[in-house]
Amino acid sequence: MPFENLPDLVPVLPEIFLALVIMSLLMFGVFQRGGRAETDVNTFRVISWMAVVTLIVTPLLVLSLAGSTLIGFGGLFISDPFSVFCKILVLIGSAGSLVMARNFLEEHDMARFEYPVLVVFATLGMLMMISANDLISLYMGLEMQSLSLYVIAAFRRDDTRSTEAGLKYFVLGAVASGMFLYGASLIYGFAGTTNFTILEQVLQRDTQDEYGQSLGIIFGIVFILSALAFKVSAVPFHMWTPDVYEGAPTPVTALFAIAPKIAALALFMRVMVGPFGDLISEWRQIIIFISVGSMLLGALAAINQRNIKRMMAYSSISHVGFALMGLAVGHDSGIRAILVYLTIYLFMNIGTFACILAMRRGGVMVEAIDELAGLGKTHPLMAAAMTVFMFSMAGIPPLAGFFGKLYIFLSVIQAELYLLAVIGVLTSVVGSFYYLRVIRLMYFEDPDEPLDRPVSREISLIATLAGLVTVLFFLYPDFLVLSAATASSALFLN
Amino acid sequence: MTDILVVLLPLFGALLAGSLVFFSPKDDIESHKVDIIAQWITCIGMFLSLAAALIVFVDVALEGNERTTELFTWIESGTLEVSWALKSDTLTAVMMILVTGVSSMVHIYSIGYMHHDSSIPRFMCYLSLFTFFMLMLVTADNLIQLFFGWEGVGLASYLLIGFWYNKPSANSAAIKAFLVNRVGDFGFALGIFAVFMLFDSVHLDTIFAAVTEKKEATLLIFGSEFHALTITCLLLFIGAMGKSAQLGLHTWLPDAMEGPTPVSALIHAATMVTAGVFMVARLSPLFEFSDVALTVVTIVGATTAIFAATVGCVQNDIKRVIAYSTCSQLGYMFFACGVSAYSAGIFHLMTHGFFKALLFLGAGSVIHAMSDEQDMRRMGGIWKMVPATYILMWIGSLALAGIWPFAGFYSKDIILEAAYAAGTGPGNYAFWLGIAAAFLTAFYSWRLLIMTFHGTSRADEKTMAHVHESPKVMIIPLLLLAIGAVFAGYLGYEMFVGHETAEFWGNAIFILETHKALENAHDVPSWVKWLPLIIGLAGIGLAYVFYMFKPDIPGQIAKAFQGIYQFLLNKWYFDEIYNYLFVRPSFALGRGFWNVVDGWIIDGLGPDGISSLVRRTAIWISALQSGYLYHYAFVMLIGLVLMITGYLFKYIG
Amino acid sequence: MQAFLAEYLPILIFIGIATIFSGIAVGASLFIAPQRPDVEKTSAYECGFEAFGDARHKFDVRFYLVAILFIIFDLEVAFLFPWAISLGNIGAFGFWSMMIFLGILTIGFVYEWRKGALEWE
Repeated sequence: MPFENLPDLVPVLPEIFLALVIMSLLMFGVFQRGGRAETDVNTFRVISWMAVVTLIVTPLLVLSLAGSTLIGFGGLFISDPFSVFCKILVLIGSAGSLVMARNFLEEHDMARFEYPVLVVFATLGMLMMISANDLISLYMGLEMQSLSLYVIAAFRRDDTRSTEAGLKYFVLGAVASGMFLYGASLIYGFAGTTNFTILEQVLQRDTQDEYGQSLGIIFGIVFILSALAFKVSAVPFHMWTPDVYEGAPTPVTALFAIAPKIAALALFMRVMVGPFGDLISEWRQIIIFISVGSMLLGALAAINQRNIKRMMAYSSISHVGFALMGLAVGHDSGIRAILVYLTIYLFMNIGTFACILAMRRGGVMVEAIDELAGLGKTHPLMAAAMTVFMFSMAGIPPLAGFFGKLYIFLSVIQAELYLLAVIGVLTSVVGSFYYLRVIRLMYFEDPDEPLDRPVSREISLIATLAGLVTVLFFLYPDFLVLSAATASSALFLN
Repeated sequence: MTDILVVLLPLFGALLAGSLVFFSPKDDIESHKVDIIAQWITCIGMFLSLAAALIVFVDVALEGNERTTELFTWIESGTLEVSWALKSDTLTAVMMILVTGVSSMVHIYSIGYMHHDSSIPRFMCYLSLFTFFMLMLVTADNLIQLFFGWEGVGLASYLLIGFWYNKPSANSAAIKAFLVNRVGDFGFALGIFAVFMLFDSVHLDTIFAAVTEKKEATLLIFGSEFHALTITCLLLFIGAMGKSAQLGLHTWLPDAMEGPTPVSALIHAATMVTAGVFMVARLSPLFEFSDVALTVVTIVGATTAIFAATVGCVQNDIKRVIAYSTCSQLGYMFFACGVSAYSAGIFHLMTHGFFKALLFLGAGSVIHAMSDEQDMRRMGGIWKMVPATYILMWIGSLALAGIWPFAGFYSKDIILEAAYAAGTGPGNYAFWLGIAAAFLTAFYSWRLLIMTFHGTSRADEKTMAHVHESPKVMIIPLLLLAIGAVFAGYLGYEMFVGHETAEFWGNAIFILETHKALENAHDVPSWVKWLPLIIGLAGIGLAYVFYMFKPDIPGQIAKAFQGIYQFLLNKWYFDEIYNYLFVRPSFALGRGFWNVVDGWIIDGLGPDGISSLVRRTAIWISALQSGYLYHYAFVMLIGLVLMITGYLFKYIG
Repeated sequence: MQAFLAEYLPILIFIGIATIFSGIAVGASLFIAPQRPDVEKTSAYECGFEAFGDARHKFDVRFYLVAILFIIFDLEVAFLFPWAISLGNIGAFGFWSMMIFLGILTIGFVYEWRKGALEWE
């Protein structure tokens, strides 16, 4: 049989589907008669909607794989409940940011069909990261995602800030990739394999013998961990985040804050508790260190920010710090808490960025936080939505953000990492300062000039949906918590 | 049932009148209507309460049906069980009559006295509220409920002293009254704790039943053993001293005259200030077992009597003279209790309630007539213009000076006789000081009468033109009180302190067999019986000489004995000493805590310090974000190197 | 030891001959040819860039584009060599894998062609 070593393609079905769609969309777009502005915009619009539909259909394919663990491509690729959970989050995030982007791009003369294609491309990379079961496939997914993101960070190429953002992201991303590769080669050199399943067995055996782990493996883990910390923008690998978030076009920032974060954290979790799970005593200190650093820096540095996108960058850094607390726990409950946290984070951020995208005056984006002054009077609904998201991010009950933090703290306290929990609570107190400042501005300051109305329908819809999820989460948290429990237990099967 | 009505009717009156405060009348007519409604509600409540109190008095005191009405459980915690319960015995019934009687008169009187005021519903509400708390106090069947009433009257007193709250002096007087009472209340509370520690109960009857077992009990304080009942009684007596303005804790009472005059009559003469005497009488089964405590009560009471009388002789504010007089009379009541003549003390309490309320309300009538002038140096020569008031003041003064056949004669005589009959050192001390105080009492009473009503007028013409007799609504309560001031002593003598004493008081008052002062009081030498009356007449005579016939003598004496005069005028310098000893150090301490502890340490290290630290760190961290790519890469590498170094040291170093 | 070194003898001979021949060529042109240098002649190339100049020198972005496209297809060829050699071992699966790879690459190629990346002007 010539096809006897044909790889099992079933677990990869969603990714293959996405890849085929991307290529067709690319071809479809490039064969449109271009040149004139209206036709370009039309092409963009059509492809944008097709991309959104694709991102909505893909979760169905992903869901069809739910409930079982499948390995494909000779061990390179894995699909399990954990990957299904994270992939759905990523797809929702990408779809949301793409829907929000359409209007903005058209108005800012960036309506080129490559944008949706690149977003879907990045999403494909993220899905592969999530499902990676080998350092090689991991790297491939990571690079596919990163390269697409580098390009869309600089998508507004006649704007210096945007190109600067893209360049900074690219250069530092390359440094991080270098670290990753160096770490991966150390691991391969000392363990003799790149496959996660085998790696786990090897490291388990090594841990149990009398000599313990070799320093090479540890160094490899540290390098890989640093690269992953860069991708989730955790301290001290966070430096790119504020500049890129501020410089990149706002819909791109929205995407950056949501989808890649989730994918990278999923990857982080899979790598740390999977192959390196037996070495938790080795890497736990590092995770605690980055977690505390991220929470502190995110809370403190955001206070002085005047640009709302920059503020959201620091906010995302501190959120990552919180999520990493759960990783420091290392076992089932910690991972479950992170998944719950990420889901809530996804909705809060989509909503917040929908509100930020609605901040425009005379058709031009305004990004200064002070411009929100008096929003409570001029745009009561939008101000209400923003209030919900800010309160939720600050962790005020009964909003969803509170529950996210609650589960994390519960798991951290169960693991008896009391100091970490205390620091977490303190930083969340400091952090609430800048979230509440936004609310104070909106309700207790006089508006100088009202923002534009009406807000586009897609953005209102997304803000409303996200707001409803955030507000009503407490009514039925079981669904999310139980799914997260299923997903997290998949990482601990063996 | 009637017991409950007596207590609760004033409360309902207060609540209804109080809720009227929330009406905002549109115009004067409407607000006048609201005022009238408030006055009617509270007065009707008070009179019904008075009627019920009379029924209770007949039932309990005359027919001897002592009882306790349980309402419901209040606190139940471990062995501490406290119920709301109304204890009705003779002592309570007497107090009920006095409280509801005087309170009704004051309610009526207030209609006239306060009719210019802008917040009548509030005033009537406070008055009724006070009456409710006072009735709770006298009907208490346990110490906690007693304390509830105790604090309640304190609150009402505070509210009423500061009734004109836009007058700074009224506010500070209210605060002073409240604070000085806190000192006493602290002692009282400690006393209650001690009782609970000793008897494991705060229920009065339980305590009284157990007191003989505990009479030898001791209490370990700071490593030494003390007689437990003595400690307890002294602590309780500190509470009584505060409320009844005894020497040391008396300073608030003269200042409390800042309140409206009806308030002075009701609270600061007839009822609340006598709560201390009532408490000592009520707890007579405890005090009887501690000779030390009784001695202290006698000495404090007698000293207060003479102290306040001396000060009263030189005061010029008409209300302050009566206030010091009150203070002095309370001293009499206390030393009566101190020589175990509790019933004599209560007897004086009752008669004093009538004539002192009469004097205060009369003084109020004068002040009303003189366009709110209170300084006697700017009065005089008005007796023809206010004849009714003049006569009523005479009656009150005669009763106060203890002239036969007015009420004060009977009650003051029996107290002095009992003090003499006690035959002890403290008893004699009290007797002689009491005689001296009686002389001074008569003297300052007539000094007040003469300065206020006789001689040439020292007021300005405008005031004099306005002088007028008070309306009937003010005079009629005075008449009723005057009837009490005339007949209460004669009518009550046999029951309270005479041959019917035992049947009348029943179990309400307990006196040890060995304490025979009251029994012996009837067999004292006749000079003892006559001395107070003679002394009183002498005082009156001296006053006439000094202020009517030779008006320049007082000035000469004051000049000749400048030191003593200043000493008395400044009320023995109590306020000044307290100012130096307590007020200023407290202020300094408070200011120090505010500036140093709160401002520097707590705020500095706490909220302010942390927030400024956060801000500074935030600025510093933001400055780290330089925007240079190589800085960013450098930070990443530094982070990596740090981690690697950590592991290097862990594994190799 | 001797045998090990002996294996490198041809290389030694090769280095020797190369040195001699290049010496002859450089020396002959130095001594025989006429020397009349001008600015154009002394520059590294008559087109393109200075070999040793400022790295921040401005150049046409189209060079960059061409370079990137070159790298992509260069790598493709680098993949093709081992694939071609081992084609017999990896069978139809290996063959179609490379076809898919080439197909994807072609799509990219079509895109850049349509976008005009291959045209200089």
